[in-house]
Amino acid sequence: MADFLLTQIINYGAPILGLIVFIGAMGAPFPGTLIIVAVGAFCRQGFLSWPITGLVAFICVVLGDGVSYSMGYYARESILRRFSASPQWNRAEKSFQNWGGMSIFLTRFLITGIAVPVNLLAGTGRFPFKRFLMYDLAGEAIWVFGYGGLGYLFGTQWEVVSDFISNFGGFVLGLVVLVAGLLLARRLLRPKSSKIDDPA
Amino acid sequence: MITSRQRTLITILIVIGSVIVGFFGWRAFRAFNQVREHRPPPPFAPEAAPVETDVELIRDWMTISYISKTYHVPSKTLFDALSIPSRDNEEKSLAQLNEKYSPQTPGIILEVVKAAILANQTPLPSVTASSPQP
Repeated sequence: MADFLLTQIINYGAPILGLIVFIGAMGAPFPGTLIIVAVGAFCRQGFLSWPITGLVAFICVVLGDGVSYSMGYYARESILRRFSASPQWNRAEKSFQNWGGMSIFLTRFLITGIAVPVNLLAGTGRFPFKRFLMYDLAGEAIWVFGYGGLGYLFGTQWEVVSDFISNFGGFVLGLVVLVAGLLLARRLLRPKSSKIDDPA
Repeated sequence: MITSRQRTLITILIVIGSVIVGFFGWRAFRAFNQVREHRPPPPFAPEAAPVETDVELIRDWMTISYISKTYHVPSKTLFDALSIPSRDNEEKSLAQLNEKYSPQTPGIILEVVKAAILANQTPLPSVTASSPQP
């Protein structure tokens, strides 16, 4: 898949890149980070113009994120019919209001594998769109211009950078899962007798 | 009191999280060492797009015109080496060309292109020749 997309990008440039990141932001399993790093290298080599390509990628990925937010937003009613009575759902929704901004920001460039579920959650949980957009713009700017900049910096050796970024993202995702498990264990296994007064 | 379902969830999260951390942590560490070994070219050098000489960086997804510009070898030279017409093949990747012209020999197009580049690349001026010592 990545090979096919890279060939299309060197043939057709920014428009096809825009389409790829737009569809990727809506949930298609494209290797977006690899592509952005590679595109930075193509700009360095003079195949693409970096201001136009960067701008097209940035606008398209933000639009794609907006669409996946909308999908969650309009699917809320059907999800609520199923889960609204559950206390876990209410707790998750409240928690997302507190931590959603940081989740949106970090999943744009660091844990990109869960960016789409976070968009859907943000829409479903009625996370304010203006705040969503603010965190989205900041995170995607790092993804497009930061990672693209690394590709530009390393030129034809962009594959080593892409390899590191992809694996580091997987590492951080693993840490998130592990910490979630440990926090849950701590909460559930904590002795509830701490509030019981000394009988003496 | 913790239920068996919660216990299972905690176990799954911790086990899967540990496996992912170990697997990707090791790969990220190795990749980081590779990044350190590959020093990038100066970002604002006068020659912004230096000529690539390492043919091991050629991949199956690249097209002949892309390789031609990257390695500064005319695309006609590469098509001649492959004995295939340039017409209708400019936008095809090496993998597609291989599939079209030599499906029985996987990877042959890539190898021929590498050999053609090595044989036809313009030698770069040596550092000692271009910067005489006082």
